[in-house]
Amino acid sequence: MEAVVIMKSRFYSVLYMFLLTFIFTAVVTVAKIANQDRILNNQHAKLQRVIFKVLHVPLRADMQADELQELFKERIRVSEVEGRTVYTAFAPIGETVIGHATSLNGPGFWGPIYAMVGVDAGGTRITGIEFYKQQETPGLGARISEQWFTDQFVGLSLDRAQEDKAFFSFTYPGRGKVSGELDAVTGATFTSKAVEKFLNRELVFLRKLADNNDGTMKNAE
Amino acid sequence: MQNDQSPSQLLKQGLWQENPVFRHTLGICSTLAVTNLVVNTLVMSAGIIFTLSMSCVTVSLLRHITPMRTRMMAQTLIISSYVIVFDILIQAYLPDISEALGPYVGLIITNCIIMGRCEAFARENPVFPSLLDGFAVGIGFSLVLLAIAVVRELLGFGTLLGFTVMPDGFTPWTIMVMAPGAFFTLGIYVWLVRSFSMQFDKK
Repeated sequence: MEAVVIMKSRFYSVLYMFLLTFIFTAVVTVAKIANQDRILNNQHAKLQRVIFKVLHVPLRADMQADELQELFKERIRVSEVEGRTVYTAFAPIGETVIGHATSLNGPGFWGPIYAMVGVDAGGTRITGIEFYKQQETPGLGARISEQWFTDQFVGLSLDRAQEDKAFFSFTYPGRGKVSGELDAVTGATFTSKAVEKFLNRELVFLRKLADNNDGTMKNAE
Repeated sequence: MQNDQSPSQLLKQGLWQENPVFRHTLGICSTLAVTNLVVNTLVMSAGIIFTLSMSCVTVSLLRHITPMRTRMMAQTLIISSYVIVFDILIQAYLPDISEALGPYVGLIITNCIIMGRCEAFARENPVFPSLLDGFAVGIGFSLVLLAIAVVRELLGFGTLLGFTVMPDGFTPWTIMVMAPGAFFTLGIYVWLVRSFSMQFDKK
């Protein structure tokens, strides 16, 4: 008899956990499905804002996700170059390319750092940079997202004297600078070094975008 | 341990006598991680109050049919479901803050305060007292987080809720932004609260 009771209670435990798991998984799934579009829209809108910003496409402050989407379709063409997604911006009227943007990334102090980098149509100068995804220490490394820091990159030349020379380097803030020397973030040596390292490695790619003038390189091969 | 306390006693207990951070030094992970900005702390607190109240209610509702042996599995499942729902909601409606909090929202699941209240209170008490208990402990935890966040943001950034409040010449105390700043602030608070309540208890 006792054995039967034990078996029954074991079966009950299993059934109970099964049902409970089923119900709660269903609840979570419903919540996810109900909000999925909104979450995706948020992510798209964020990326689009970043792309517009580095390419200096003016936005109204109160633009909604659908208006952004509209403008994005109008002004930006998406293509793929060497396996990377490239966003090519066109002038409001006509087929004049005003610049390209692409996402570059590398390891930071706490996790990967993603930078959206804009470059002019000829692939010679940086038009803007936004560190749009990073988990650096708030108040220290995370300050790479601040305007004073990103502004330093605007106009940075991608022409180098030698192939293996760095595009830029960081030095202590407030010191006299030669061209290609930017202010590091005080107190965030590691993050600054990490940014310097991966950008110098990855920026080479932007030079190749000079030929991507019709935004159709995807189908070139 | 069946509860026979009045609602106001329950509230007082959660806020003060059994305050999770000051009295039990529980939930330190998020105390250290999210308290360098008041805004982040507010959202984190909302998440904890929501999860804690709802988990306590659910555990209490199921208290007669949950087998003893699997109760902790059930509690973990309940807690994590509420946390994931909260995470989905802030991703949908507060994307910027969701990004700032990063993995810490998910880590509410392993916040020992929540399972602690489910085990110690909700699984043996009716729904309404369990709700009150969860809510009170959640508020108690949040107030401590906020008290720490105010000090850290003020000294670490010179701002409050993003507005500059410190005078122009103020040099931010960088260490307050980092984890050690949270340890210092928490330590000082615990010291103050303990010595204050010792005097109070003597009377």
